[in-house]
Amino acid sequence: MQRLPLPYGLLIDREQTIGFSFENKSYQGFAGDTIASALAANNQWLLSRSFKYHRPRGALTMAGQDANTMVQLPSNPNALADKEPLSADLRVMGQNYSGSLKTDRGALLGLFSRFLPVGFYYKAFFKPRGIWEKWAPLIRKKAGLGIIDQQLEPDYYDKQYKFYDVVVVGAGPSGMQAALTAAVDGCEVLLVDENPVLGGSLNYSRLDAKGSMAREVRDLLVHDIEANSNITCMTNATVNAWFADNWLPIICQKRLYKVRAKQTILCTGALEQQAVFHNNDLPGVMMSSAAQRLIHLYGVRPGKTAVIVTGNDDGYANALDLTDAGVQVAAIVDLRDKPKSSPLVRAAKRRGIEIKTGYAVYAAQKRRNHLAGVVIRKILSQGVCDTQSKKIRCDLLCMAIGYTPTYQLACQAGGQLSYDDKSAMFTLNNLPDGLQIAGSVDSYWDLGNCLEEGARAATIATNGLGFTQAVIPEPIAKEKHSPNHSWPIFAHPKGKEFVDYDEDLTIADIVNATRDGYEHIQLVKRYSTCGMGPSQGRHSALAAARLVAAATNRTVAETGVTTARPPFAPEHLGHSAGRSFYPARRSNMHYRHIEAGAQMLQAGAWYRPAFYGEATDRENRINNEVNNVRNNVGLVDVSTLGGLEVRGPDAGEFLNRFYTFGFIKQPVGRARYALLTNEAGVVIDDGVACRFSHQHYYVTATTGGVDRVYQTMLKWNAQWRLDVDIANVTSAYCGVNIAGPRARQVLAKICSDIDLRAEAFPYMGVREGTVADIPARLIRVGFVGELGYEIHVPQQYGEALWDALMEAGREETIKPFGIEAQRILRLEKGHIIIGQDTDAMSNPMEVQMGWAVSHKKPFFVGGRTIAELEMKMPIRSLVGFVVNDENAPIPLESHLVLDGDQMTGRVTSCNYSPTLGKPIGLAYVQPHCAEPGSQISIKSSGAVMVEANVVTLPFYDSKTLRQEL
Amino acid sequence: MSEQKPDQALRRSPLYRRHLQLNARFEELGDALVVSAYGDTGMEPRLGVSLAVADLCCLPRTGFKGPGAPDWAADQGVELPSAPNTALAQADGSLVAKLSHQELLICSDMQGHSGLIDRLNHQAPAPGVYSLPRADSHSWLAVTGLLAAEMFSKICGVDLRTHKFAQGQVAQTSIAKINGVIVRHDLGATPCFHIFSDIASTEFLWDCLLDAMEEHLGVAIGVAAIRSLAATE
Amino acid sequence: MKLLTCPLNGQRNISEFTYGGEYHPMPNPNSTSPRKWAEYVFFHDNEAGVVIEWWCHTASSFWFLAERNTVTDTVIRTFEASEIFKRRIDFVEPTSGDIT
Repeated sequence: MQRLPLPYGLLIDREQTIGFSFENKSYQGFAGDTIASALAANNQWLLSRSFKYHRPRGALTMAGQDANTMVQLPSNPNALADKEPLSADLRVMGQNYSGSLKTDRGALLGLFSRFLPVGFYYKAFFKPRGIWEKWAPLIRKKAGLGIIDQQLEPDYYDKQYKFYDVVVVGAGPSGMQAALTAAVDGCEVLLVDENPVLGGSLNYSRLDAKGSMAREVRDLLVHDIEANSNITCMTNATVNAWFADNWLPIICQKRLYKVRAKQTILCTGALEQQAVFHNNDLPGVMMSSAAQRLIHLYGVRPGKTAVIVTGNDDGYANALDLTDAGVQVAAIVDLRDKPKSSPLVRAAKRRGIEIKTGYAVYAAQKRRNHLAGVVIRKILSQGVCDTQSKKIRCDLLCMAIGYTPTYQLACQAGGQLSYDDKSAMFTLNNLPDGLQIAGSVDSYWDLGNCLEEGARAATIATNGLGFTQAVIPEPIAKEKHSPNHSWPIFAHPKGKEFVDYDEDLTIADIVNATRDGYEHIQLVKRYSTCGMGPSQGRHSALAAARLVAAATNRTVAETGVTTARPPFAPEHLGHSAGRSFYPARRSNMHYRHIEAGAQMLQAGAWYRPAFYGEATDRENRINNEVNNVRNNVGLVDVSTLGGLEVRGPDAGEFLNRFYTFGFIKQPVGRARYALLTNEAGVVIDDGVACRFSHQHYYVTATTGGVDRVYQTMLKWNAQWRLDVDIANVTSAYCGVNIAGPRARQVLAKICSDIDLRAEAFPYMGVREGTVADIPARLIRVGFVGELGYEIHVPQQYGEALWDALMEAGREETIKPFGIEAQRILRLEKGHIIIGQDTDAMSNPMEVQMGWAVSHKKPFFVGGRTIAELEMKMPIRSLVGFVVNDENAPIPLESHLVLDGDQMTGRVTSCNYSPTLGKPIGLAYVQPHCAEPGSQISIKSSGAVMVEANVVTLPFYDSKTLRQEL
Repeated sequence: MSEQKPDQALRRSPLYRRHLQLNARFEELGDALVVSAYGDTGMEPRLGVSLAVADLCCLPRTGFKGPGAPDWAADQGVELPSAPNTALAQADGSLVAKLSHQELLICSDMQGHSGLIDRLNHQAPAPGVYSLPRADSHSWLAVTGLLAAEMFSKICGVDLRTHKFAQGQVAQTSIAKINGVIVRHDLGATPCFHIFSDIASTEFLWDCLLDAMEEHLGVAIGVAAIRSLAATE
Repeated sequence: MKLLTCPLNGQRNISEFTYGGEYHPMPNPNSTSPRKWAEYVFFHDNEAGVVIEWWCHTASSFWFLAERNTVTDTVIRTFEASEIFKRRIDFVEPTSGDIT
């Protein structure tokens, strides 16, 4: 391991050596290294194989911005080696190769690249039908990205909300200055950066000939930030999207922070771009900033002999840095004809570096999977070179031909990207309120300008928040000299000039996409896959836009770029799947069910007992529960049933308008069925309205429907303004239904203050009293069709009530029953369940509920629509049916009712009835089949046609005498 | 401490099984049993200063709403909070929160004194005043400590940091995906957030809170510690 | 995530709210034509521009109205329902005409 002396290596701790392996060979690095920097220190540059042609690839940005450094970690595929911190004994493997990383058999694919033209998959597998299914597994194997560890024990990922006045994204010079300016008294600022330390480009770039300015400015800013208690710094953290109203998901280690900023300042910087020429993807070819990161952040010499291809003065600063670090600079190849003299250019000349102006790097040469030299040629016109070549031997080529602003977050916020022909640069505008940009993302390159713009953006933010009322200065004029060269693209007869490294796309691929008719940049993307790889066009968008513009005779501004969508960087599924909430509601009797061996199921958030006993004995258990209710007495937990208090002088009037029935004349002490329709006349809920006093109704609603019913009640009364109060007391009451011929006998033992005799407390009567000394509301309802009492008590007494009833019914062998038995019991009585036997179109007449609709009211919700429907011919009817064929498979819910080959209806409920000894069910049928005695055909399981007979409802106890006992 | 069993009382906290698992010691309060302490009675108040949760489900509380409710309550001697979503401590130690222009939530002091609540509950109903069974519909959990807001930021999207959510402020919001009312009413000098939420979801919320607190070493404490914190200035 | 300001509870994440549909004045259910009634029930204007919508703050079950520009997805203001519904609405018998 070779390192440059201090002060090189800002991020590494030379005291802490870390051992790791790559491709089963052991290496050493330092704490603070990334995998790639540690490998580079060991002269290992080859990191991966490319996606399509399996070409050798190495570090390109050293900033985790590209897919070239993807490696396989034991439990993490596609880790970015130039981002992933080194850890002890880490086992790192290359990925996407067959054989070895060094000699990948898949690399032969490159030889056949002319047979893999752009749009290859679309063209090759379009016809015949089914061919894709045949080829897909093979292709996916070749183009795979890493291996998933299926034995992985997932780590714990967490989520957390955070709130700040100002969030500054990016801690480079502009971001640090913005944070400092924004942190005026009381203004809470979050400064986020994806790197381990603050400073951004100041940590590795060279601003002056002397080479000390960046570090001096950084130290000053960092010192002030650390001293400012209003600034929170979050490093190693990625702001992975911008969502409406400055909602920023920030990923930091194993936590997803959901940050609400009142103001956001994006100082996201700019991404250096590659030159496009033959073999521009060889290991050893990298961004000038990548070489500087290696030197300054990790103390690694990026090569022995370097060539720099540049279109700006940064290339000269790069040359100075390289020579300082002991790299021999063989030449600076400047695309510009006559670069303006500057201190950096003069310093490079003084060091005797050969400078070739008006030249391009036309091709790179390879030896042993690494750069061995470059071919340079004189530029004749845009993208066209002289035929005369000059070769220069080198093992490092630094590219400094320009930048693209890191526009992703700004564009997600609605910012528009335009292209300025003069500066050959994308620029951002049209940003929403509460969002500022500053620094190189806004095309400022001079340090002084960046600091001023950072301060200016911060002042706009603090003014917006009311912390300051400062006069906002005009934006600084954009600098005269752009770092971008307008056409660093040089086609080669042998191709391999990569525009998109992720997807192995070359100049010809992009141009051919336009020739195939895909001229729009969005279509080019989808057809060629340009920008669809892991780096999401960070290094291909600019070159692709320029190529498409030229190929279609448009300006780059007209061509534009594709939409930048979240996330900015790949994120672990754990970040989305971390701490989640699955609400669970339990009745107060929940554990009594568990103790009795109930199989619980969840209905919405509620836990409910399905039946009691072994799951393997399901049918038998359910049938026994049914029989016990019919012949004896059973107890069911109905706590989940919705409960609504409707009170006040207009309580009756309100219910009259809300439900279909009439309620004003309902006697006190009586319950009445309450059917709810929406304005379209569709049945949406039901329950009973119990009148406890003139101004007090207690209304039940379905378990799943009550929240919506309650909300809907409030919405209507926000309009009607009746003198009524509505309260949702669902959770406040626990309830049971004690049902069966012996129900009264049991109840009488522990209820002494209510006269339970049928004549005193008849069917559909309601009473208040006590049961086992617990204050209770009693309702005589007949959902299961037997003598029964619903007993509602305050929630915290639920368990005591259950115990008391089970104890009181011991002699009568009372048994609990679950909702499966309840479903059969109600089906035997022909009672419908809203949502199961009704759908989004069911009106009351279709489900035989016409009797529950009052025609004597001036208004009720849905009334007018129902009146219109009543004048029309019915389309379908819900009827009861029985299956008399003992050998027929029992139809299931949603099985179709057929008339010949026509679908004419469907089954909504069907069960074997232990009481009747045969399958019974409900189904929608055509009106002419609704008459009892009609025959219907049901297509049951296995396409077996089952004949069923339509019968009169209810199936059981047709005169409904039992519930009125 | 007597050997009392919470399942012998008529009224039972939905959490009593959780408390038994945590080896809680119980004490009588009205017709229910509340957790006195789980562990070291002397240590629990100190845990409460950092981060803790207590089950107050069996403490008295009630609610009233309707157009006549505020005036009626004032006539009964209730000192009303000035605006909706604020709460005001009463002279007798109970707390009154105003949830809207027409709705009040009233809860007892940490001793469980029910004087005001009983008095209001037993008043003959006045026109436009409707009682709400808050003791039955809503659980009452208290989260105490300097790290409470930090813990809440993992389960609730409202900024509850003490300099942003002042003493006496009320937030009706979503906590761990269930609806609830959060009232900031400190125990002496210790920040305290009272959560009133769907009683059927109490166990769910309790588990969520303990899980979110784990990172900060938060634990469950009994009413003895809560009272001791309330008595500390 | 968007923010929405509830007139009772202040500014909250939009996930705390339930959308209640566009606000449309109800035609007189007893006298309007079947066509007009069907349009009221089933047709949605889906206007590009400023619309009034019902929103409910779920935790407090508080209904209010919002003026929203559907083109820019910006909420211009939110206000209590009583601003539109100033007094009690009564319906009269089918034969005798308008809502009073």
